[in-house]
Amino acid sequence: MQIRLAGVGGQGVVLAGVILGEAGAIEGLNVVQTQDYSSASRGGHSTADVIISKEPIYDLIVTKADVLVALAQLGYSTTKGSLKKEGLLIVDTDLVKPDREFIGAPFTRLAEEKTGTALTVNMVALGYLVAKTGIVKKESVEKAIGRRVPKGTEEINLKAFRVGYEEGLR
Amino acid sequence: MYLKVSYEIRDKYLRKDMLPTIFCPGCGIGSVLQYTLRAIDELGWSKEEVVWVSGIGCSSRVPGYVDFDGLHTTHGRALAFATGIKMANPNLKVIAFMGDGDTAAIGGNHFIHAIRRNLDITVILINNFTYGMTGGQVAPTTLKGLRGTTAPYGSFENPFDIAELAVAAGANYVARWTVFNYIQGINSIKKALQKRGFSLVEFLSPCPISFGRRNRMKTAPELIRWYNKITVPISKAKNMSPEELKDKIVIGEFVDRDRPSLDEEYEEYKKRAKEMMGWEE
Amino acid sequence: MKYPFPVGKSDFIQGDEAIARAAILAGCSFYAGYPITPASEIFEAMALYMPLVDGVSIQMEDELASIAAIIGASWAGAKAMTATSGPGFSLMMENLGYAIMTETPIVVVDVQRSGPSTGQPTLAAQGDVMQAIWGTHGDHSLIVLTPATVQEAFDMTIRAFNLAEKYRTPVILLTDAEVGHMRERVNIPNPEDIELVYRKLPANEEEAKYPFGDIHGDLIPPMPIFGKGYRTYVTGLTHDERGRPRTVDAEIHRKLVERIVNKIERNKEDIIDFEIFELDDADVAIVSYGIVARSAIRAVKMLRNEGVKAGLLKLNVVWPFDFEMIEKVAERVHAIYVPEMNLGQLYHLVKEGANGKARVELIPKIGGEVHTPQEIVKAVKRCEKCI
Repeated sequence: MQIRLAGVGGQGVVLAGVILGEAGAIEGLNVVQTQDYSSASRGGHSTADVIISKEPIYDLIVTKADVLVALAQLGYSTTKGSLKKEGLLIVDTDLVKPDREFIGAPFTRLAEEKTGTALTVNMVALGYLVAKTGIVKKESVEKAIGRRVPKGTEEINLKAFRVGYEEGLR
Repeated sequence: MYLKVSYEIRDKYLRKDMLPTIFCPGCGIGSVLQYTLRAIDELGWSKEEVVWVSGIGCSSRVPGYVDFDGLHTTHGRALAFATGIKMANPNLKVIAFMGDGDTAAIGGNHFIHAIRRNLDITVILINNFTYGMTGGQVAPTTLKGLRGTTAPYGSFENPFDIAELAVAAGANYVARWTVFNYIQGINSIKKALQKRGFSLVEFLSPCPISFGRRNRMKTAPELIRWYNKITVPISKAKNMSPEELKDKIVIGEFVDRDRPSLDEEYEEYKKRAKEMMGWEE
Repeated sequence: MKYPFPVGKSDFIQGDEAIARAAILAGCSFYAGYPITPASEIFEAMALYMPLVDGVSIQMEDELASIAAIIGASWAGAKAMTATSGPGFSLMMENLGYAIMTETPIVVVDVQRSGPSTGQPTLAAQGDVMQAIWGTHGDHSLIVLTPATVQEAFDMTIRAFNLAEKYRTPVILLTDAEVGHMRERVNIPNPEDIELVYRKLPANEEEAKYPFGDIHGDLIPPMPIFGKGYRTYVTGLTHDERGRPRTVDAEIHRKLVERIVNKIERNKEDIIDFEIFELDDADVAIVSYGIVARSAIRAVKMLRNEGVKAGLLKLNVVWPFDFEMIEKVAERVHAIYVPEMNLGQLYHLVKEGANGKARVELIPKIGGEVHTPQEIVKAVKRCEKCI
């Protein structure tokens, strides 16, 4: 399964990709995670690719995404061509105006309202993605979050992940 | 000061199968080598604990003549190699035998950074104002107006004062002498060898063949007389005006201090790392 | 010994991180480096781990100094490594030659990015293949390994140290920005299950007198490291068996340089490593290495589905090069394709190896992206049609 996460620098899409990948690795699946970003640390486009499979993986980057998660219009417009025709598009419904079928929620707004900071938007979106696709188990992602987020931010990130997960189950 | 006869020093420390040296008649390198070996001898250091390092040039051939571990490296890079030797085995005492072109031109950056780190090493520097081995080209030390094959009408660039550079970069011990200040030279080398951190002893050293010939000083004695003319002891220089010091070279001890050396700092750094990571066994 | 990362289990890490961990498990105790994209993560990991395992990690003033420092450390007895990318690798050519001439075991990692010059700093390439093999001046040989996955980056780093120690030679781990930055699941073995090789030391005073002599008949002299009372003299000048400079004697020069080349060449069988996919009944072969080999494996499967009997030879070592093996492959297929992220480098070696027995075609790609399997398939099919 090929998953692409797209946004702008500062939204944490690469970290979300790493955590999703780690969750897959925790479950013993084969995972390749790569990223693409501009030289600017903030504001440029930012993409994280995660390929998860039981088979050995030879692909490096997502070429035909099964799922595309777009957190910003810039991220969407630079990556929409890579989504399969029958693929699943998940967007932040406040920030992205797609020109095809999609599902989603106002991830950034949810992050602000439920965790007090928009910085956790990546975890909200990740929770939503996991609930909708079931590609990895919720518990594996929670374990991966514990390992990968900066010390002291585990709780708020887990909270954000659960907010997104609940939203995805609705 | 009691001095052993030089044959005794030679037999104890030189590799007989490597002799004769490549040095020309009147060259000062052999004298400085003798001072260095005398200093080691008086300190009673064993051959096992000392490594000699050098780059490229006449003076850089020295590690080949002395019966110690030695690394004769690439042009200018001696101190970068030495950093690896010293940090991988801090028990080794490292001496770098270098020339002025090697140190101040191609190796200039390695030189100032080795000093900035306060690498525990003693640099013995042969400054003959020229590239002797390649036939007398001008060096970054060549005084304005002096001639070399690559500035046949007299150097038009400003020279480096290597000793001052070393002081500014943070060396723990810096001294400069001419080859003919042999007592001061030996004493300075002894001090430098015992000093932890970066130490430098620079010697103005005659190169009659490649340098002197092109500057109307064909023999070593002529170069001695010239050194006497242009050098000023540091005690005297303190009371001289900048105008009076123009075209003069100051000799003496420039600095003698005890800032912690790189390997000492690294030991502390390791402790800090282990503490910060809760790593104590 | 305690390790600053999990051992005996799998982890999800970047290629650069895997290289650093493997180095520590291989016994590396000295690292010197200079920051450069996309190799900095190796340095940062070494900086984090080395003080904890009583090793040294030091930031030098440039790459000239970095490789010089690891050579010095190696003579002081340490297993030592540096890592860089194209611009820094170019600076290292000077002392890479010194390491070859003085037979100093070191590991140099080149995380290739797109060049020439500063080029595309964050994007992958395979433009340093010829430089890795031939970049330093003068006749010489060395060993160049090319990982395609994060697991291979880990495994080959350990192998790089073992080969360096065994053959007293510099070993280049030639990887790229893609492998360096991608994350994959890696199995990190228990340290006691890792086979490690250590350089041969002189057995006695007599052996130590010949730091550059073939005294065991295996072309590899024991290495009398510093501080043991051997009083070894090491020089980059042409030297005799005892290490004494002998710069105008043609016979001594020939003997020395030929031995340095032959100790690699005559041990080809031990050093060379490759993998074969579907090559037995193939009509066309793809010869690939490093990151591109992943796309090539997929391309072989796709070609087979479309009726083209394709097979893959994946090279894990690109120097020494097995010209004879390429000729054997060429005898059995009618065409060999070489997809490379450059305008043709290993292609020339493959062509020489094929020796006219099969057509050899280059599938070049530059600009920072790895060939997709589809691109390789397309190129092969287009060419297969045109004949």
